[in-house]
Amino acid sequence: MNENRVDYLVAGASHAALSALAAIRMHDPAGSLAVLAREGHLPYSPTVLPYVVSGRSAPDRVALKPAEYFARNNIAFLAKHALQSIDACAKRVHFADGGTMAYGKLLLATGATPIIPPIPGLKEVKFHVLRTLDDAMALHAALPRTRAAVVLGAGLIGMHAAENLAKTGAAVTVVEMQPQVLPGYFDSEAAGIIASVFADNGVRLLLGHKVEKLANSAAGCTLTLADGSTLDADLLLVATGVAPVIDYLAGSGVATERGILVDTSMQSSVADIYAAGDVAQAQGFYDGRPLVGGILPDAVEQGRIAGMAMAGDPAAPAYPGSVPLNTYAFFGQQALSVGSQSAGEVVLQESSGREYLKIVMQDGRLTGIFGINRPFDAGIMWQLILRRTDLSAVREQFITEPQKTARQLMSKLWR
Amino acid sequence: MSAYATIAFKPDRCNGCNECMSACAAVKGSAGQIDSRIQIVAANDSFELAMCRQCGDPKCVAVCPAAALAKNEGSGVISWDGGKCVNCLLCTVGCAYGGIVHNAAAGHVVKCDMCDAAVAGAPACVKACDQGALQFITSARIYNEVGDLEDLFVPGLSGCQGCNTELIMRHALRRVGPETVLATPPGCIPGMGAVGYNGLTGTKVPVFHPLLTNTASMLTGIKRHYKRQGREMTAMALAGDGGTSDVGFQSLSGAAERGEEILFICVDNEGYMNTGMQRSSCTPYGAWTSTTPVGERGQGKSQDAKNMPVLMMMHNCAYVATASTGFMEDLYAKLDHAIAASKHGFAYLHIYSPCTTGWRFPSQDNIEVARKAVETNFVMLWEFTPEAGLTLSRPLDQARPLTEYLKAQGKYRHLSAEQIVHIEASLAKNVAFIEKLAGPRKPATAQQAAVRA
Amino acid sequence: MNAVLQPKPNYIVCDGNEAAAWAVSLAQVDMVAVYPITPQSSLVEYLAKFIADGRLGAEIVDVEGEHSVLSVLQGATLAGARTYTASCGPGLAFMFEPYMRTPGMRLPMVMTIVTRDTLTPQSVWGGHQDAMSVREVGWIQIYCENLQEILDTTIMAYRIAEHHDVMLPVNVCHDGNYLSFATGRVELPDAAEVAAFLGQRDVNWHVALDPDRPMAVDPLTGGAGGPGPALFVRYRKGQCQGMQNSLAVIEEVHADWARRFGRHHAPLVEAYRMDDAELALVTLGSMTGAAKDAVDEARARGQKVGLAKVKTYRPFPAKKLAEILAPVKAVAVVDRSVSFGWNCGPLYQDTLAALQASNIPAMSCIGGLAGADITITHFARVIEACAELAEKRSPVDTLWLNEHD
Repeated sequence: MNENRVDYLVAGASHAALSALAAIRMHDPAGSLAVLAREGHLPYSPTVLPYVVSGRSAPDRVALKPAEYFARNNIAFLAKHALQSIDACAKRVHFADGGTMAYGKLLLATGATPIIPPIPGLKEVKFHVLRTLDDAMALHAALPRTRAAVVLGAGLIGMHAAENLAKTGAAVTVVEMQPQVLPGYFDSEAAGIIASVFADNGVRLLLGHKVEKLANSAAGCTLTLADGSTLDADLLLVATGVAPVIDYLAGSGVATERGILVDTSMQSSVADIYAAGDVAQAQGFYDGRPLVGGILPDAVEQGRIAGMAMAGDPAAPAYPGSVPLNTYAFFGQQALSVGSQSAGEVVLQESSGREYLKIVMQDGRLTGIFGINRPFDAGIMWQLILRRTDLSAVREQFITEPQKTARQLMSKLWR
Repeated sequence: MSAYATIAFKPDRCNGCNECMSACAAVKGSAGQIDSRIQIVAANDSFELAMCRQCGDPKCVAVCPAAALAKNEGSGVISWDGGKCVNCLLCTVGCAYGGIVHNAAAGHVVKCDMCDAAVAGAPACVKACDQGALQFITSARIYNEVGDLEDLFVPGLSGCQGCNTELIMRHALRRVGPETVLATPPGCIPGMGAVGYNGLTGTKVPVFHPLLTNTASMLTGIKRHYKRQGREMTAMALAGDGGTSDVGFQSLSGAAERGEEILFICVDNEGYMNTGMQRSSCTPYGAWTSTTPVGERGQGKSQDAKNMPVLMMMHNCAYVATASTGFMEDLYAKLDHAIAASKHGFAYLHIYSPCTTGWRFPSQDNIEVARKAVETNFVMLWEFTPEAGLTLSRPLDQARPLTEYLKAQGKYRHLSAEQIVHIEASLAKNVAFIEKLAGPRKPATAQQAAVRA
Repeated sequence: MNAVLQPKPNYIVCDGNEAAAWAVSLAQVDMVAVYPITPQSSLVEYLAKFIADGRLGAEIVDVEGEHSVLSVLQGATLAGARTYTASCGPGLAFMFEPYMRTPGMRLPMVMTIVTRDTLTPQSVWGGHQDAMSVREVGWIQIYCENLQEILDTTIMAYRIAEHHDVMLPVNVCHDGNYLSFATGRVELPDAAEVAAFLGQRDVNWHVALDPDRPMAVDPLTGGAGGPGPALFVRYRKGQCQGMQNSLAVIEEVHADWARRFGRHHAPLVEAYRMDDAELALVTLGSMTGAAKDAVDEARARGQKVGLAKVKTYRPFPAKKLAEILAPVKAVAVVDRSVSFGWNCGPLYQDTLAALQASNIPAMSCIGGLAGADITITHFARVIEACAELAEKRSPVDTLWLNEHD
């Protein structure tokens, strides 16, 4: 490999990047290939971070690939390399430390970074975020002395963190502006079940509440809510969402909205520059509108397609579009969310106690299925949605026994 | 990359007894079938399967945020590490087969681990299935053994979709190797471009188009001259059944009688499939062909097939064997034996090759039809050497109903009950004849055991 | 074997089949493939004996028919071997499929046709009908007049066939019965000198089945679209060119043979007593001896008769024959075979074509079918008819010489 030029340069080192590396190597075993990691760690998944916080995952056992993987596949793994800028005409990237590297094809899989809301006083108080392994270790280290924790945001990161904090015995309060937890993945009824489980486990949920200001206190900080009430916290976690890391794109000519706009081969507006994963803004499955997904299985798929396209693999498929997907295990319960809540007609919605199931269909085809403690195979359901499999003939059976019916269809259709 | 042993499921043989599920649950320490990692799903008209496919490029592994799932490069099994799993269930999104699921009793996801088959011989579910619906396929070892050998045909041969012959050609030549002169008499093999077109070659070894009639003779001249010069090489034919049993028979018989050191492989697709599916002497009774059409008076071929491999055995060749792509491990073993025999005498390998175009069955069913031919005894697998006589490669006493084979092909669609009776009677006679030649049952060799499995 | 070896000159007494076998032996071929047929059988028996005795170090393949004979040898040639076989009549007919293919593959093989009339009527006797039936297949055809010419020509045939400007198979034809079994004195050339004359064998430099030089031999060529038709035409035209090239090569090889071994045979057409001739006979093969005697007798009577013996029949030496025949007033062509489509002899047709620019009348005479003799008396009749033709200059019917014998 020429030190200053590679055939393939992959910026980022999480799921989308690793998936792209594998796809490139599958088709082109010889092309020079380098991958850039912002941090000093081997590749890891942001999704595992709540478990590092809780102590379930040891920080030294979360690497998605061992160092040996990169050596064996002749991939240069360059840690602590952050992009500063891209010269798309010269096909060269500049690093924060002043170094440069030329590329044949470039994949931007730089992920997302936490959004810090513009709440007065927030910058003056000490708070945690959870996006990097270092964040997770810091939060983990803070757990033993935490008595009263406040989590801003009831998204997946916030809820996971709240659960882990509660399990250490701390008093936990979650403040969420929306009227429900996990907005986007579950409707209010399902969210209500999840919220009730949290409540049963002692987590206080302040939904539909806005933090107006923060100030330092003796123990940590004091939050003042819009209704005038206050909360004291010795640990504050800000988990109000993430935004794609695209600051290095200024002047590159790569078109962006919230993220990097890509076509169905994951190529950006600039030839030979691709994007995948949380940084990419790819088309949605249902309406084709570009959206930033932040969905792990989708990042893997996007990375694979980008890698295949970059390597010129003739089998490279077109990206079918992003389908919202989530799995969520909390306090021993399982919640699954596959597809869209709104792209169709609700053909089933039932709940009892901690069980919940909702099925959304359009024109005899599945568009979404959501459940709590009701088993079905999320991967099969995803395929049924992507393949737009006609369920008319088995509609009633599907509504009654979704898991069994989907398995029958799977076994027959893609045996 | 390695290939791996796998569990194959034949839905048409499953009777829904669920013994596999009980066996799996038991191995995993549970009494409930719900805890089995193999799940048979009863549908209206069939039994279906949900279980881990041990994918080559597993998405469950790619989506696992905790590196708890990994594909073992030695065994191919996707293993789950409870010490790393964070119970996030993302793997269940990655799996399109219902092969990894959350198990309430265990409190985490579970999946098939193939029972460490290298030690156990075969997974518990396969052992428990007495219907043959689950089979443990170990032929991947062939790929591991010969996968690095060069494919000596060029890519992009223009065979029909699902062609079995291309499979045979590529496997055979890869095994024989580059020190070979290859004869491909007129038929599907040169027809798909093996000899090339307009000055371009289709093969990386010297290859030629003999006449349909003189394959064994031209190879005789080639081999004799190189032998005279002390040069090691293999003179090899890949011939169709017409060029073997009909117009090519005289030269073949002459070369076999003379004991020429030739490896002659007959790819028997039971007719002249390249020229439009005409009858050959290897076409079986009752089969539709374009020259034995079905009409008011004609009902397919009215004579039984010539038993070409037996005829070759009667030449007392150094080696004669029958093989099928439905049983690749057996085919490979015979290829090895045939190559070795061709160093000192005439080696004849008769490979039955179902033809999707000419036999009228869907292109994806080729191996299935090949397998059914053997499982119904319509094709008998055996080998012969002058020293050991005829040895069965697979017992003939566990035959499945012949109609399973006949019904799989359009060329038999018209058969009357009387014609089926005729075919069954002829088959019974053939089986009895071969059994008599084979003599009393000898202890199974390792190869036979593998074919049986 | 009845050879009596002398120190020098090295004379043997043998028949035509044995003379051919000696030639093959001297040419040091690598492989012979054999299948017996009358009147060729003794030829392959001699070869088998030479090989069994170790006189000829060749591989012998006893195959199950003539079809395989030529097929085995094609394979051997493609592997680099110098080969030989002989056949005739029904055997040649059975061989026809690979026979037809040999010139197209430009295989420089040598095969004797011990000429025999074709079936049916059933016959095992001499005649040129077998060789004439394959005259347009693309083999070079050379006809011998006597035993020495068989031996010398068979050796020369290898050098002609293997010449890089030719690379075509050669049939050396000798008449069944008349030459195959006629016994006479033949001078054997020195083996080392023959080896020097033939040089290093180099038979598959252009097309080979050799793992060290992998290539596809004879892939499908032609068809509409793509490079096919042009490629096919290139091959065909090249084959015709090779045939034409051979005319000069045959002359050159005969001249070299004469230089080295002291015997000169007319390479294409022999002119016999053609100086001042007014009538000419055109002959082929062993009949020429009797024809020359008839010419001598006619000359003795004062008739100005000459003779042109065609030795190289394919490619046809049209220019040479036309030159020789140019001065005469009439020509009589004697064939030992017929052209069914033209009700005459094939050599007659070729002669007509060669004479097309001249005004010389010609007639066809057919004799010697199925082993019939063409005697001096028969040739005297031919000369008579030719003289009549010269006078009347009107077309005459084909003269069937043995019609009433």
